Amino acid sequence: MIHWKTLAAAGALAFGLGQTAQSAQAATNIELYFPVPVQGKLANKMKSLMEAFNKAHPDIDATAVYTGSYDETNLKTRAAIRAGNPPAAVIMSANFILEYQINNEIQPLDPMIKADGMTDKSFMDQYWQALHGNAEFAGHVWAVPFQNSTPLLYLNVKAFKEAGLNPDNPPQTWAEWADAAKKLTKRDGNSVSQYGLMMPGNYDYLGWIVSALDMSNGGQYYNTDFGGEVYYDQPSMLGAVRFMHNLVFKDKVMPQGVTNAKDVSTSFFAGKAAMVVLSTGALSFVRDNMKDNFRVAFLPGHLRHAVAIGGASLMMPKGLSPAKQEAAWTLIKWLTSPKVAGEWSRFTGYFAPNKGAYDLPEMKDFMAQHPNAQVALKQLAYAHPWFATYNTVAVRKALEDQVQAVLSGNETPEKAVKAAQAKADQLMAPYVAQTALKLPD
Amino acid sequence: MTDVMTTNDRVLPVRRARRRGARGRVFPALALLAPSLVFLILFTYWPMLQSLIQSLSIQSFGSTQTTFGFGNFQRLFADPGFRQAAVNNAVYAAGTILPAIALALALAVGLQEATGLNTLLRGVVFFPVLIPLVAAAALFSFVFLPGVGLLDYYLAKFGASQTNWLGDPSIALWSLIGLTVWKNAGYYMLFFLAGLQAIPEDLYEAARMEGAGTLARFRRITLPLLGPTLAFVFVIALINSVTQIDHVVLLTQGGPSNSTNLLLYYIYQQAHQNYDYGLAAAATVVTLAMLLSLSVISLKSLERGAHYES
Repeated sequence: MIHWKTLAAAGALAFGLGQTAQSAQAATNIELYFPVPVQGKLANKMKSLMEAFNKAHPDIDATAVYTGSYDETNLKTRAAIRAGNPPAAVIMSANFILEYQINNEIQPLDPMIKADGMTDKSFMDQYWQALHGNAEFAGHVWAVPFQNSTPLLYLNVKAFKEAGLNPDNPPQTWAEWADAAKKLTKRDGNSVSQYGLMMPGNYDYLGWIVSALDMSNGGQYYNTDFGGEVYYDQPSMLGAVRFMHNLVFKDKVMPQGVTNAKDVSTSFFAGKAAMVVLSTGALSFVRDNMKDNFRVAFLPGHLRHAVAIGGASLMMPKGLSPAKQEAAWTLIKWLTSPKVAGEWSRFTGYFAPNKGAYDLPEMKDFMAQHPNAQVALKQLAYAHPWFATYNTVAVRKALEDQVQAVLSGNETPEKAVKAAQAKADQLMAPYVAQTALKLPD
Repeated sequence: MTDVMTTNDRVLPVRRARRRGARGRVFPALALLAPSLVFLILFTYWPMLQSLIQSLSIQSFGSTQTTFGFGNFQRLFADPGFRQAAVNNAVYAAGTILPAIALALALAVGLQEATGLNTLLRGVVFFPVLIPLVAAAALFSFVFLPGVGLLDYYLAKFGASQTNWLGDPSIALWSLIGLTVWKNAGYYMLFFLAGLQAIPEDLYEAARMEGAGTLARFRRITLPLLGPTLAFVFVIALINSVTQIDHVVLLTQGGPSNSTNLLLYYIYQQAHQNYDYGLAAAATVVTLAMLLSLSVISLKSLERGAHYES
């Protein structure tokens, strides 16, 4: 046994060395930084995609470097740029792209789009409209969408039937939603054996959920054209936060305090939560772990149906040699092509940003077999760009800290949105001073 | 007692002699130290110096100019987030150090005799030390699950209702403290066990002959003679309470509402989420200064106390 393994390893090593020696002759070496939420399956899939790319492009030798979570990838990319050795391409959380543009660290893609005989518009038209905002702004195209998601309502079919609700007719409005949650909550004296509704309250996820509720309430959350403004202290946001407060303290259908995404999915699997809000990116994960029947639906709306997109785009740091830039552009186009995007989408559960992916026969088969994936795709028509400002993470956290206090009963919604606004304004002040408030002398 | 005194008397002249001889052998000593010194300078003292310089340099968005001053420190002390992280860290330090040391000391004294059962029990108590903090945190994310987690499952048998261990701002820090005590007590026990071996048995025999009870023997012999060990363990625990934050990263990210934000995580947030390197460096300098002075004070005072008693 040991013999066989050693031999195989030696063989693989020799083969690998031979290959590197061969391709090193003329091929352009480029690196792609990529994050995956869960290491293992997805990282291996990315490796195999990269092998296929290198085989199809003998003049390019692309290596995929696994760089951890979205946040860690952001960190490592910044460090590499500061050290003067940037990767040729990065799969970056779509709402971090703006900060690279603000800091002048990212390559606009327009020259390459033009060289391909396309216009910015015809290029971006290949992708769903909702994804444009985080990729094309300030007059240029900065990134190409790669994997995207929106928040969805997941419901337990059995629990719905037990409560006398029709799972084929999920709640559409906040009124129906709160009503269904009340019917779905099972009390056992003082304790609750089944909550009607749960949503992730941990950092990052919470900001995304609150932005969806705010947008459903007619809000904008942030200024899509200027990274120095957020709309926290506004009626639309106040309504959204009050709605969450009511679910916890008035209707008592949602647990008090912060429930992180893992607790939410575990509770859903264990039948302790009848409805949960999770990402479309969790579809495959829920499908693999849920014993009971489940269904997904649009996030209920109040003044309108609206959600924010999430996910990641491909971007290219500044300072690459022309050869590397060209190789990186080839890789970016290949990864976002209908065929590859579709394959990645079927494997991960994210939807494919490239509309063309859904015209391919293998994708049509997949969608016919998975009605839940259809719901996720249809909700895209109501999706908006993802919150991005100067200092995105801290500005988002300013709101999240306050909403967490509301969910814990330590703060009123009115005071919370005011405090969040004040903190956010303070965080964005240096940028605002250098932009909107920097006037001609 | 006299035994200890004589050893001390003997040690002092030797030390003095060594110091005198060292003057003539500075070069070989330096040469022998060089390899570790080079790495210490490269990876410890140089970065410390850089942090100090960074903490005094003031950069602002949209300008490439750097000025020097105490602006970063002013901003740091004005930031309620920093104050909260410092208070949290103080609570966390007190909450982890005292119980963990008391527990470790009790376990060490209780499991002092090397019987078969004790060896087994020592192994059981030591087990959490073998698990990396990251893995322990991953494990406890299931223990702490509200309603369905291990903790709530057993508490429910006693009629307790479910608790949001990590999601309630008033409980979350204490949950992390509990996890840390569980993780570290076995480690500290090891030091106390070693310390106990060094206490001569005849002291106990003499005490017994003079009719001292268990408690008196512990108070008059064990505790004073464990002084240096206690000082050492205290400093280690203090450093741990500032530098070991894997569980914060994994379980709470400092939340809810900053209730579990500790100093090191605050520094991380400033540097890597807000790109405010000046503030991060200032917080680093303040934290290091506090840690260093606390360590020196505790080592000095506890060691002095130990000598006085003996």
